[in-house]
Amino acid sequence: MKESPTSTSDVTIKELETRGIQVRKIEKEVYEVFIGPQHPGSGHMRIIVRLDGDIIAEADPDIGYVHRTMEKLSEVREWLKPIPLLERMTIIDACNITVPYVNALEKLMDKAPPPRASYLRVLLCEINRVASHLYGFGIFGVFLGHSTAYMWAFGDREVFVELAEILTGARLTHTYPIPGGVRRDMPQDFPEMARRAVKYMRRRLIEYQRIFLDNPVIVKRLEGVGVISKSLAAELGIVGPNIRGSGIKYDVRLIEPYEVYDELEFEIPVYEEGDALARTWVRVEEIKQSLNIIEQAVDWLERHKGELILSKDDYDKLPKLHKEIYEKTGRVKLLPVHASMKIPAGKAVARGEAGRGEIFYYVESDGGTVPYRVRVVTPSARNAIVFKYIVPGHKLMDLPAIYGSIDYFPPESDR
Amino acid sequence: MVEALSLDNIINSIKLNLEGLVKSISISKGYIEVVVDASHIVEAALKLKSMGYDHVKSITAIDYPKESKIRVVYHASSYINEDLAKTIIGLTADIPRDNPVIDSLSQVWRSVEFQEREVYEFFGVIFREHPDLRPLLVIPELAEKKVLRKDFIVKEESIYEGIPHKY
Amino acid sequence: MLETLLYIIAYPPLWQVLIVGFLGSLLIAMIAIWFERKTAARVQRRIGPYWASPKLGGFLNIIADMIRYVLQQVIIPTSVDKTAFILAPVAALIITLLPIVFIPLSPIETFWPIPSMDYSLLVALALTTVPPLLLIVAGWASNNKFAVIGSLRESYIITAYELIAVISILSVSASTSTFNLVSIVEYQAPLKWFIVLNPVAFLAAFLAILMSTSAFPFEIPESEHEVVAGPFTEYSGILYALNMGGAYIRRFIYSILLAIVFLGGWAPYTPPLDSGPLMGIIVPSIIVIIKASIIVLAMSFLRAVYGRYRLDQALEYAWKLFLPLALLGLGWAIIVGFTI
Repeated sequence: MKESPTSTSDVTIKELETRGIQVRKIEKEVYEVFIGPQHPGSGHMRIIVRLDGDIIAEADPDIGYVHRTMEKLSEVREWLKPIPLLERMTIIDACNITVPYVNALEKLMDKAPPPRASYLRVLLCEINRVASHLYGFGIFGVFLGHSTAYMWAFGDREVFVELAEILTGARLTHTYPIPGGVRRDMPQDFPEMARRAVKYMRRRLIEYQRIFLDNPVIVKRLEGVGVISKSLAAELGIVGPNIRGSGIKYDVRLIEPYEVYDELEFEIPVYEEGDALARTWVRVEEIKQSLNIIEQAVDWLERHKGELILSKDDYDKLPKLHKEIYEKTGRVKLLPVHASMKIPAGKAVARGEAGRGEIFYYVESDGGTVPYRVRVVTPSARNAIVFKYIVPGHKLMDLPAIYGSIDYFPPESDR
Repeated sequence: MVEALSLDNIINSIKLNLEGLVKSISISKGYIEVVVDASHIVEAALKLKSMGYDHVKSITAIDYPKESKIRVVYHASSYINEDLAKTIIGLTADIPRDNPVIDSLSQVWRSVEFQEREVYEFFGVIFREHPDLRPLLVIPELAEKKVLRKDFIVKEESIYEGIPHKY
Repeated sequence: MLETLLYIIAYPPLWQVLIVGFLGSLLIAMIAIWFERKTAARVQRRIGPYWASPKLGGFLNIIADMIRYVLQQVIIPTSVDKTAFILAPVAALIITLLPIVFIPLSPIETFWPIPSMDYSLLVALALTTVPPLLLIVAGWASNNKFAVIGSLRESYIITAYELIAVISILSVSASTSTFNLVSIVEYQAPLKWFIVLNPVAFLAAFLAILMSTSAFPFEIPESEHEVVAGPFTEYSGILYALNMGGAYIRRFIYSILLAIVFLGGWAPYTPPLDSGPLMGIIVPSIIVIIKASIIVLAMSFLRAVYGRYRLDQALEYAWKLFLPLALLGLGWAIIVGFTI
């Protein structure tokens, strides 16, 4: 009946090993909890958390559960085909993800899109950014047990998803930018809808503030949690709203304006506190700025009706039938030759500001019909390091707060 | 014009700071390529860091089977210094393909830690003195195949594959 | 004939334990769950439960859920302590219902389930503090890390809320100098309710019950995003339903106690001592149940408004704010006792 504790544990270890379970000893007085991959608070990843009491002593993000070998697959597909492939890593932010890739191709080809195409890209990018922030906001809300924020954000995201659908024909994976232009022109009644959506969202943001951001319970949960100092943020190389919440004014739209961001007026919200609340506020302020940009882009597009959305030489190459389709429906029908086009040898780097932060592309061509190398570093991939260096020292209940506040998105991180 | 001038300035200051380490320096599309010898990479990185390049955006490894080398590029830039933030430095080193070993830069830039693990699992590049060198995204069995090297061929499945002939 | 039937129904074990205690709390729990889902849906611009019975506002959806829980396979993992694993939720539910025996729903002695109500407040209050202990047992027996963390949190919460609940509810005795719930109700008749005389104690008791039944913003032991379902992580089927519904039933029992102690019980109606079963017990109990339901539904509404506190923050509030509040209520009650 009575066995000494060591012998029991040895027996169970042997028993477990015969059942094919890997067994290893962990440190004494540390409670190891596997959060994920099947856990309501983990997403498609696992965080191995070692608890000392209620304090997290060590956190090891175990990512890669939704890795889809995008870099390798890009190397076996013709130049255009990685566009629909790559946007699958963040379907909620599709245009922001693909614009830098297209920019890199354009750099290699020495081709520039016409201004109307650039404005359309920016318009869709900002619609995506609002949708992406609302998505993150909703997930954040439910992580803190605030189901109303979750439902509201997801419901209002629908407005912008629909806008994107009217503009491009697809709710999520738009495949909108192509080297030298965009695929579709804006519909006639789009500006009116966009303005209404912007007006609606501005009003809703005030209500969000009332129920979520100024909610005493939420403020208490977020204030002073997951503080990333300015120097640490730079050292860890984290990106996006997270770094702007730590007082670093870094936004690719400002630092290295791509497309037509240098012609638009907007501010980069920066908060100094570096805690979860500051990061949340950065996102909300960014939604406001994105709404401004949408208005400006729509105004510009209305003033410049009838301009080309495809670069001049590409348009001239189109046969008569395709030109007619373009004139009639505003849709660009590409020639099959586009699929097997060759891009001059060289290497190019492009970066862009996606919803969650900076996205980086390195594209190398050897002059063939497929890329020689496509390297993509997504914002979430660079934010993953936060789990290892910021989470330890916090309480277990702070983990969802930090996770939600950095807006980590596993499919984007795993590529 | 201002842009070009500042680029020249940056190149000059890099030349000055990394004296004796730089093999070649050139402006590439979107970044400045600084090629150094693989054995000097830590020194060069330390110098770049003291210049203000405080983080690494990407570690890009490219496999060149014909030349039997793997090129490792550390795309570094700055957050704190807004002037330097406008440029990306590609700190490049070539290492032999059959013995891909290079010093880890995780002691210099903490932001490379996860990406070095990624390069390790996809290319088999071993980073000396990396604190925690194990596969990041894929399981160890798959990492052994070094999937992003050019000699790993992706077998594309036809949509009819596996369907019996009578259908 | 009808009179006889009424007398049979009003037979205390049948009426009070089975009908009010078991069926009533089940019904109120269902209404509370439905109300919680429906109000949350309204706030969140959704429809909420709908398809099972559009005309009833989807109320039958809850019943469908219950049927599903009953018919679902009960999985008992091999690694659990089986006896404790099965017994804990069952025992918790039974003990949760027990206080109803000691709560009078009528001033007439015939309709009491026990012969004397002299110490009923003490006994009822003591019994309400037992079920959370069984939650800890359930979590411990599950042999699951999330369950253990969840029950650990539960134990922290118990130590924090219990004192507040006991002090704030017992403070009424300081005013009335009795533990007899009937006397307490009679003291309050017809409209001298303690919620008016001593709102501080009521507030403290309300908050303590929120903590005790892990309602928002104190839904900490079952906090989904850290510990899955807390102590219930390994439970499935009917056993899970017992655990989950147990919290609502406990909330209802507490609310009945609050309705008696703070909301004047069956006041403003006072049955004459010679009244029959209909006016003597059924009508007053319905008044009490309605009052209790209002408290339950008010608690349910909080889900739509608040997130959850962190464990240490909840404990900080409990010890630094709610406990002094409860003590203030006690002091207030003594003053009330001397002046009114």
